[in-house]
Amino acid sequence: MEEAVIQIKNITKEFKVLNHREGVKGGLMDLFSRDYRIVRAVDDISMNVEQGEIVGYLGPNGAGKSTTIKMMAGVLEPTSGEILVNGVIPYKNRAGNSQHIGVVFGQRSQLWWALPLIESFKLLRDIYQIPKAEYEEMLSFYASIADMENLLHKPVRQMSLGQRTLSDILAAFLHNPKIVFLDEPTIGLDVSMKAKIRELILSLNEKKHTTVILTTHDMGDVDALCRRIVIIDHGKMLYDNDMDHLKGFFGSYRTLKIRVSGDVNGHLAEIQRQFPDMRTETEEGWITILVDEEKTGVMKVLNTIQESVKVRDVQIEEISTEDVIRKIYEGDMG
Amino acid sequence: MNLKKYTSLLRAGIMESLNYRLSALVLFFGNLVYIAIIYYLWRAIYASSPTDVVGGMTFTDTLIYVVLASSLFSFMEMYFVWDIGRSVQSGKIALDLIKPMAYRDYVFWSCAGTLFTNFFSVFLPTFIVIEIVTKGAIDFGMNLVWFIPSVIMGVVINYNIDFFVGSICLYTESIWGINMMKQVIVLLFSGATIPLAFFPDKLQSIAYHLPFQSIYNTPLSILLMHSPSVSQVLPMILLQLFWCVALTLFTSLFWFISIRQVTVNGG
Repeated sequence: MEEAVIQIKNITKEFKVLNHREGVKGGLMDLFSRDYRIVRAVDDISMNVEQGEIVGYLGPNGAGKSTTIKMMAGVLEPTSGEILVNGVIPYKNRAGNSQHIGVVFGQRSQLWWALPLIESFKLLRDIYQIPKAEYEEMLSFYASIADMENLLHKPVRQMSLGQRTLSDILAAFLHNPKIVFLDEPTIGLDVSMKAKIRELILSLNEKKHTTVILTTHDMGDVDALCRRIVIIDHGKMLYDNDMDHLKGFFGSYRTLKIRVSGDVNGHLAEIQRQFPDMRTETEEGWITILVDEEKTGVMKVLNTIQESVKVRDVQIEEISTEDVIRKIYEGDMG
Repeated sequence: MNLKKYTSLLRAGIMESLNYRLSALVLFFGNLVYIAIIYYLWRAIYASSPTDVVGGMTFTDTLIYVVLASSLFSFMEMYFVWDIGRSVQSGKIALDLIKPMAYRDYVFWSCAGTLFTNFFSVFLPTFIVIEIVTKGAIDFGMNLVWFIPSVIMGVVINYNIDFFVGSICLYTESIWGINMMKQVIVLLFSGATIPLAFFPDKLQSIAYHLPFQSIYNTPLSILLMHSPSVSQVLPMILLQLFWCVALTLFTSLFWFISIRQVTVNGG
């Protein structure tokens, strides 16, 4: 078997943070303070990533995702533990490592602000010493998946946020790196731009077999791109497995939504009496019931309800990734 | 060694600075206004002096020196310390750190384009105007030949000092105060505002022991010499070379130590 492109063993990253005091007086006292506390941003994380995988690296804000990525990129040095990226230790060989990785930190651009995109591309070509043929091939590949004519000759500062993000992603893939880190690439984008960017990432991954590590808060990204997800919170690893496996946990759950007329709360109370085990919610005339099909079939629940309540409309939904992730964040996995 | 990456950065920098045409124009006229101010200032100083020669320099000598010093300053000052400060604060520095070249080279060559355009938009015009107004006070001889390596080393020394200040920003995460302090020290001790010849003896000898005077005073002094001999110029050039090497070593080491404790802001 091939060696994993990313090997992480028990890494931990601690920061020393000054305990700030309140107000102007506190600010003045801070100038002379030695009152530090240690914050453990990443706490004993291990994982291996194979070439060509797309891994969703998820977690609430402040979970330690970006810190992990910065360690993999070689910007930060771990406090303890081992990292190997493409067989080298990233922070010890920053320049060597950078030849094989691409990074997009959402909302921070590496492109030259005043210049047309093509100039930034040429610059990257020279900095990364991309052979001419490869560069040309990449550009024509880009042209086949995105509207490059519109992008290439436009100064970056005149681009919309969506166009700039798209350009930044293309720039990160330009030197055909083995691994690309995308840190919240779809943040702040509209629906169609998000779809476009997901398509782009997928086709780049397919064509170049690039490993992609993606952090996002958008479950649409996860559904569209990731076959595997890793979840961390408070720096600790909570989950690392296939998407399918994850859904399998909750696969037997369906969400039954019914719309009723009349007294919604009265009907809800009636349903809760009939099915005391099930989670229920109401929203604008809809009653939502989380049904575990291993115990009771959705149709049976519906039939029972129908006998006592007049149902005007019905929807049955698979449990969404968002629900699953939320359950894990909230610690429902046990 | 592949030079293409450096020339490519230089090229992009030139294009970017050309993009801000208005800014170049303002820099040009701002420089003219500054020259007018120092003209009247020094005329007043000489008018109040009992002798025509102050600190060994006539009014014309001083004016040429100060005007050229200010244009040399506009040309050589790169202001990238502010950029380093901003990218440390915003966390953008992470993106520059993962380029396959040393950060100090990346920053230098990114800014080199501005140097290039400033040379043509500020220094050269001022030089020509001075030459015309003073009817050829500056020789066209060996002084010009020596001036070139000297000004290049001045740029390198200046860059190293700025890069050192930028590195401190990794600790402080704030750049304003420390950079203002640096600017005041450099402006005073480099001869960029007042010719070093006007300093009291003690201060002068301090200034000559510091690296700052190698930035502006040395190239300017060489430029204003009349057919200088090698033995005249060589000590000055060697001193510059010493500062180039010493500062490059020192700032590289300081950066190497500092970067290990970088924290990179932003989630």
